[in-house]
Amino acid sequence: MIESKDKKLSFFILLLPALLIYLSIIIFPIGVSTLLSFTKWKNFALVGFIGVKNYISIFTDPEFLQALWHNIQIMLISILGQIPLGILLAYLLYRKLVRATRFFEMMIFLPITISAVVVALLWNRIFSPVGIFTIFMRMITDNPDYVVTIFESPQWAMIPILFVLLWMHTSLYMVMFLANMQRIPQSVIEAAKIDGASESAILTRIVIPALANVIFTSSIFAISGSLKSFDLVYAMTGGGPVNYTSVMSIYLYKHTFTYNNYGYGSAVSVIIVILSVGLITLSRSLYGRYQKKYE
Amino acid sequence: MTETARKRVRSLALAGLILLLSSTLAWAGGDQEKGNGKIVLSTYFQIDPANPQYEGHNEVMKAFAAAHPEIEFKHEYATGESFHQKFQAMAASGRMPDVFTTYVGKRTAYITETGKVLDLRAYLDDAFMKSFNPAAWEAQGSEGEIYTIPPSMAVCHVMYANTKILNELGLSFPKSYKELLSQVDTIKKAGYYPVSLGNKDQWPVNSWLLSALVDRMGGKEWFQKAMVGKASFTDEPFVRSLEIVKEMVDKGVFSPGVNQMSNTEADQEFYQGKSVYLIDAGWRTSAMTTSLPQDFQNAVYMGVFPEIAGAVDHGTSVAVPSEGFGINKELADDPAKLEAALTFLKFYNGPEGAAIRLKYGEIPTCKLDYSQYDLPRLQIAYADFQENTPMGYVIDAKMDGEGMGVLNPSIQAMMFGNMTPKEVAEKYEAWVKENDSNRLGN
Repeated sequence: MIESKDKKLSFFILLLPALLIYLSIIIFPIGVSTLLSFTKWKNFALVGFIGVKNYISIFTDPEFLQALWHNIQIMLISILGQIPLGILLAYLLYRKLVRATRFFEMMIFLPITISAVVVALLWNRIFSPVGIFTIFMRMITDNPDYVVTIFESPQWAMIPILFVLLWMHTSLYMVMFLANMQRIPQSVIEAAKIDGASESAILTRIVIPALANVIFTSSIFAISGSLKSFDLVYAMTGGGPVNYTSVMSIYLYKHTFTYNNYGYGSAVSVIIVILSVGLITLSRSLYGRYQKKYE
Repeated sequence: MTETARKRVRSLALAGLILLLSSTLAWAGGDQEKGNGKIVLSTYFQIDPANPQYEGHNEVMKAFAAAHPEIEFKHEYATGESFHQKFQAMAASGRMPDVFTTYVGKRTAYITETGKVLDLRAYLDDAFMKSFNPAAWEAQGSEGEIYTIPPSMAVCHVMYANTKILNELGLSFPKSYKELLSQVDTIKKAGYYPVSLGNKDQWPVNSWLLSALVDRMGGKEWFQKAMVGKASFTDEPFVRSLEIVKEMVDKGVFSPGVNQMSNTEADQEFYQGKSVYLIDAGWRTSAMTTSLPQDFQNAVYMGVFPEIAGAVDHGTSVAVPSEGFGINKELADDPAKLEAALTFLKFYNGPEGAAIRLKYGEIPTCKLDYSQYDLPRLQIAYADFQENTPMGYVIDAKMDGEGMGVLNPSIQAMMFGNMTPKEVAEKYEAWVKENDSNRLGN
């Protein structure tokens, strides 16, 4: 009895620092943000409580809805693009289906080692009206007025950003999957080969089920990363031209720090938190069903 | 644990606590003013002293230190958004520095409009004020307050021309907008771009072109009326100005990708002789004099957008007094510190500081006899430009910043053909009517 009490006490003491840090830097700011989201500010001064007006304004602002749609696009490219591509690339390297695996491993992993701001500037230099791609196209089309016009379309302006995000982050997932594939006993793969299993059958029947946990963890990364994506988009386009590439965090930043409307910005941050928690819970429940099916 | 061990732990804990407390006290003591009889002023400047752009500022600070050894500074510097974020936090927490950067427009309204800055009018005599360009003393508050002495004027519209290319093509600087449009084919056929302008950051078309067009079409009087709601941004002067911007896009006046090009890229296009004209700010001459070869500098002409049919003003540019230094209102209760801060402001902006800054490429608001100095041709041209060109208002200096978040992207959408000039005007007017502090009176 005394031993169990001591155990509980020592658990509590050992957990306390982490708990205090977690409460102070995660829970407390979320709590304060939630409170602030019901207020109106002007010139860094609190004007008063305005109830849910901020939330109504946010959801009736076409600019926010556009930014939300862009975040959804990023999430889709992360879950349906980066993760499958990461699995495929990892599998090619794991099964040594290409030559010079070390070289490809290094080349694929390279983008994630570069800072997002550098990546953004790099791609800017390529696509800008004075960039390499534009100059090349002007040469081959003999059209001195050629520019990449995809940025001028509200429907398509996100495509270059989605492409860069796919290029940049796939490598991280690839490394995670590759590391976990290497933990699958070779004997299982060998046995399957002897039984005449094709590469696609090995991938879909053995490797992917074995990676279910990692795929779930990766999808959590993908969801949370997509909803808070800021650095690359901000450095690459600043949310423009117009607001054709704006995302929720840029919208939040603009309203909070440029217009000093802390209440409105806080409401946006609360929406991002709710969306993150909601989507992660949803993916957990989907994973739970998948697990039950295979148990 | 034995009793002895427990005692040891307690003693160690107590010793640690005492050490922690004493170090805290030592830190707290370290922030006190030095007891060497000097007056210490804390500052917070929107300046990067390591940037060559601020060489003139650094020289003025050195000269001031030599002339006034009784005054000492505790400097803090920041630039860009980080400056404003920390400044807002300072204001909110009531821990304002003694002297700080303030803008004449709305950019530091969170300080100037909340009564935290000293109104300088009572401390500036007529003789001092008369030694400045009168535009420097435009009212900065609703009651005519002067919070900062603008060290220079930020001229936000100049149409630079490469006269070498103009001569080569047998053209001259256009007298009318119609003439500018008629030059486009000749310029393009010769392999040049007509006008470089980088609007990737969204505000350059507004500040450097639209503001000038609005001033031409409506004049200052109309703009003042529109600010307070006695006229509307859906009126002819504003809509026609937007139409001109759109027409310039449609007729290929700008180099391709105007909204994807940064300022620097547009400048480089002009500097490399790829375009005939550059629409930019007046302070760009400072970079031109330091980075361009002399023969190129000699070929640069500084003009303004040509005459527009139906305009009420002609030959005008737009300008706003540049950011300067303000004084914490609380210094009014500390005569020694207040005197020191005023001495600094007068030195920095007055003849002594102005002469030093002039040598580093700035055209100060304080009037100087330029014949006394050996200045580059473009700098003299810029000084003449400031003196002889009537100046209108810069839209984003007069209207609320949040409204620019509505207007600037809408201008881009219009340039892409996704909005009409009328729709842009209606969208902006709707925002101003509901939100702008000029209309709401706060």
